[in-house]
Amino acid sequence: MIETLKTLCCLSGPSSYEDQVRDYIRSRVEPYADSVRVDALGNLIVFKRGAKAAGNKLMLCAHMDEVGLIVKSVTDEGYLKFGCVGGIDRRILLGKRVTVGEKATPGVIGLKAIHLTTAEERKDVPKLSDLYIDIGAKDKDEALAQVELGDVCTFVSDAVEFGDRMLKAKAIDDRVGCAVMVKLLEEDLPIDCTFVFSTMEEVGTRGAFGAAFSVTPEVALVLEGTTSADIPALKPERQVCWPGKGPVLSWMDGGTIYDRELFQLLRDLAEQNGLPWQMKHYLSGGTDGQAIQRTKAGVRVTGLSAAVRYLHAPNSVCSITDAEQMLALARLFIRAMAER
Amino acid sequence: METEQILERLCAVGAPSGFEGAAVRTAKDLLEPLMDEVWTDRLGNLVGVRRCGKPGAKKLLLDAHLDEVGLTVTGIKDGFLRFTANGVDHRMLPDREVTVLINPPLLGVVACLPPHVLSAEDREKAPEVKDLFVDVGLSQEEAERRVPIGTPMTYRAAFTRLGKRQVCAKALDDRACYAALLRTAELLRGSTLDVDLYVLGSVCEETGGVGAKVVTQAIAPDFCVAVDVTHGRTPDSPKDEAFVMGGGPAVGIGPNMTRWMARRLLDKGAAENIPVQKEIMERSSGTNGWGMQIANEGVATAVLSIPLKYMHTPVEVVELGDIEDAARLLAAFTVGLGKEGAQ
Amino acid sequence: MDMMNDLTRLVSAFGPSGAEKEISQVIEELAQPYVDEISRDTLGNLICHKKGSGPKIMFSAHMDSIGLVATHIGEKGFVHVGALGGVDPKAILYTPVRFQNGTKGLVCRNLGVEVEKLKVTDLRIDIGAANREEAEKLIRVGDPAVYATPTEQMGNRVASPYLDDRIACLVLLMAMERLEETDNDLYFVFSVQEEVGTRGARTAAWAIAPDYGIAVDVTMADDQPDSKHAATALCGKGAAVKVMDRSLISSPALVEKLMALGEEKGIPVQRDVLQSGGTDAGPIQATRGGVCAGGISIPCRYIHSSTEMVDLDDVCACVNLVRAFAASKLEK
Repeated sequence: MIETLKTLCCLSGPSSYEDQVRDYIRSRVEPYADSVRVDALGNLIVFKRGAKAAGNKLMLCAHMDEVGLIVKSVTDEGYLKFGCVGGIDRRILLGKRVTVGEKATPGVIGLKAIHLTTAEERKDVPKLSDLYIDIGAKDKDEALAQVELGDVCTFVSDAVEFGDRMLKAKAIDDRVGCAVMVKLLEEDLPIDCTFVFSTMEEVGTRGAFGAAFSVTPEVALVLEGTTSADIPALKPERQVCWPGKGPVLSWMDGGTIYDRELFQLLRDLAEQNGLPWQMKHYLSGGTDGQAIQRTKAGVRVTGLSAAVRYLHAPNSVCSITDAEQMLALARLFIRAMAER
Repeated sequence: METEQILERLCAVGAPSGFEGAAVRTAKDLLEPLMDEVWTDRLGNLVGVRRCGKPGAKKLLLDAHLDEVGLTVTGIKDGFLRFTANGVDHRMLPDREVTVLINPPLLGVVACLPPHVLSAEDREKAPEVKDLFVDVGLSQEEAERRVPIGTPMTYRAAFTRLGKRQVCAKALDDRACYAALLRTAELLRGSTLDVDLYVLGSVCEETGGVGAKVVTQAIAPDFCVAVDVTHGRTPDSPKDEAFVMGGGPAVGIGPNMTRWMARRLLDKGAAENIPVQKEIMERSSGTNGWGMQIANEGVATAVLSIPLKYMHTPVEVVELGDIEDAARLLAAFTVGLGKEGAQ
Repeated sequence: MDMMNDLTRLVSAFGPSGAEKEISQVIEELAQPYVDEISRDTLGNLICHKKGSGPKIMFSAHMDSIGLVATHIGEKGFVHVGALGGVDPKAILYTPVRFQNGTKGLVCRNLGVEVEKLKVTDLRIDIGAANREEAEKLIRVGDPAVYATPTEQMGNRVASPYLDDRIACLVLLMAMERLEETDNDLYFVFSVQEEVGTRGARTAAWAIAPDYGIAVDVTMADDQPDSKHAATALCGKGAAVKVMDRSLISSPALVEKLMALGEEKGIPVQRDVLQSGGTDAGPIQATRGGVCAGGISIPCRYIHSSTEMVDLDDVCACVNLVRAFAASKLEK
């Protein structure tokens, strides 16, 4: 599990440019799957038969994409101006390393040295329009020999275990969900399952719209990485949820009120099997659940997430134990669905 | 008919979102000779299809919207019309001529206070829409009798040629693009196709895109292209976000655009020697393409934009050559699609 | 039907967005005598069907209400909350609330924030607990709460919590009770999760695939002192026929049809342009290949406060307009 997660986190896959992630997952799961297809939106949809035939009844979903940057123009001096693909807090961009485009050209997000700034400038985070990527080109032509307008950029960050079973990596949101699904696919399943590795979640849960429409499940389990803010500066009610305290059970967020009965089922399964669980203590964000729930005549949606610190930043942090317990609880959920 | 004459006909009609009937009728006359079949749906969308005759052919949907920005009457005070505006730059409303779309239409002028009754400070301020009224020259009783609440209004503006290559009118957003679609169908007349070609003149783009969305759901195309306008470069526009007039249509790149579709447009442009620009959009393209992409099981989507100056004003400007280039590019894109293309 | 009695039952039934079970049971009981078939879908929409061979008409009134939901319990036993729907924190300060298990509370605030800048996350519910431990015995994180304000008749008007949209549920029930003979295939939907983004109507409309869709809802009345004219409807001036709101521009032909029906049947009607807020009509219009959609609304004052107000004559006008449209001759 942990090795799979680490490998997945190091792959590049900003929204709609998920190719590396999709190719890797496909190669991992194809031997275990009954059918694998990629739809018009790039979703990887994997069907695996289980002991009990149920067709499309149960769908699991995790998104492959991560936040990233996209090159919008090149200055005469050869610096790249960019936009953000997905929600990025620009405070975390300053002085970060990225790779640009399919050639993975190395670049850094430059900034004026602090010695050269005024006291006023030091108070504020520079505007996105003032930031640029430096790829070491001497002018526009040299830059354009290396990169194209529209190239996407991925953060550079290795996957490292540290502290008390914690993982530091980029893109834990949502490679943790992908890793759980890859591991489940390797197992014998008690019931037919459709696994959707979705695209474009970070730009509005867009892949999931198409996938849910074509799969048309009755029940969907969304596996996610969710924002945690358990840092000392915040009061407990603002810390949202806590890495190391177990999988986060979805009950409501900015996009979905999750199925109450399935929430209770997950909670009961966790308690009966000695797994810790927690709820978010602050309403924010959204998941693929919002697209899936309102598909066609409606889908019962539930969710299971790992608490992730510094969610959309190159150095996000989660608990490895949480990820393992997420896998265990997802497995129990599938079994419970088979027993219904 | 020349593109310029077609544009003049299309822009002459007032058709704000939700009330596109007049534009649809004009567009229908122009589209019918180019298609096998033309119809309107429940929401008023105008759809035409040219079938390629091959069994199981894939479907390509080209979209341009027929609605324009407008104003809506929300009340009457002392004979003047209170209104709300959708997508309109309120700074340019004072002393603006409008057409009140009742039958027969009324002329209206957006009332403005003369400067000598304003304080020096107020003279610097753009009035908010809620403080503006349309003067229709009627008494309270007569205005109440003739102008129901909810009546739509559009700019009253003439169609003018500007210099040698550009034209100026209201509603060029997005009728310039509809004209490009008509021209595309004309260019394709003699060609054999491998797709069924659907041409959509959609309603309600300016209010969220429900028109294109339901048509995409109903037709379930394999590929779609939303053709809309983007900002043309002016002295006061940011260089990064505005496009060269006469520089050809802009091909959208980013999450809203399926990569191989955008690539195919760029490649066809290069192969046919058609100038194209690249428009990088990290979020929504702000066009019908945003909704069309996630219709049903998801649709391979491209967004093609014609540069236009002064968007959502009565003096929108486009370059005729960009319309022609957009049409040539779409025609080149269409030929062979279905046989080639896909992932 | 006894109007005030049924209204009191409807507004006092528990049913914030996402937890509509109790209100749906009340409505089901009231609707039972008048329709052929009642069903619930995946999201919990209550769908009442009066069968016919003609065009399909879907009327939708949402049964969910706005409210608050517990997100955290503080050390001192104050309950932190999130919003269910469009809650104006200033408008509900010191409103009594109740949870589904009967626990009562009072909306108060974090005194560290000025009232003007108050956000929902600055609100607390005081449930009379001395500390967290005591509070956790009464409620849990994730439990929703609703306003527990009274329902009163004032002249020809009624003031009550949750007239948005239980008054429209009553309108549909009263219309169902007195339907005229018709071939039209009628669906009366009591939808869920409207207040959090018209979510229920979307799936109900997909399943029904109607030819016509009418959202029955409240609309903002434009008749308070120094009104900003963000709406056009007036209390007491009849059923408001929706021309547009934030979620759609109604089918113009449908608007004219409803206005003409009003004229023909002597039902007071007025045209309604609402500049804020959407209704179930939006997602209904966008269903499948598109639906001819519009709305019939009851003008309402103080929408989304803990006490809203409507005029009873307007309610009757809406009932009659729904009846008239349900029985009207329509094309498929």
